[in-house]
Amino acid sequence: FAAVALEVGQKAPDFSLNGTDGKPVKLSDLTAKGPVVIYTFIAAFTPT
Amino acid sequence: MGVSTDHHLALAAWQKDQKSKQLLLSDFRRQMLPAYDAMQTDQASPVYRYAKRAYFIIDKSGTVKFIKVMDSPLNLLEPAEVLAAVKAAAP
Repeated sequence: FAAVALEVGQKAPDFSLNGTDGKPVKLSDLTAKGPVVIYTFIAAFTPT
Repeated sequence: MGVSTDHHLALAAWQKDQKSKQLLLSDFRRQMLPAYDAMQTDQASPVYRYAKRAYFIIDKSGTVKFIKVMDSPLNLLEPAEVLAAVKAAAP
């Protein structure tokens, strides 16, 4: 005795991330101001 | 804005080093990246959990308008392609 990929057109999941000052930043607060481009990268201080 | 799994202090140091004003956000707890299918993992190493190189555009209503997850972190999108997608997302 015991299931989801993000697609265009879906509502974006909202999360709270930390800014460089350590304070939480909600994604929905950013998108409320206009379209947002999110760019993900492996790590700081690396070419990638 | 840029998102990675770095600690926010690492991002702050990098931002200062690069003299950048780009908004950088830390997903140190690995909550957002898996939900966006943008986290690279390795079955041989449970601690290997880093962001893939990916682009997302979310419009003002919070709807996903563009997704591009790159096969290799060495691949970049052309800025023109991203700009065109942003213009399409902004009515």
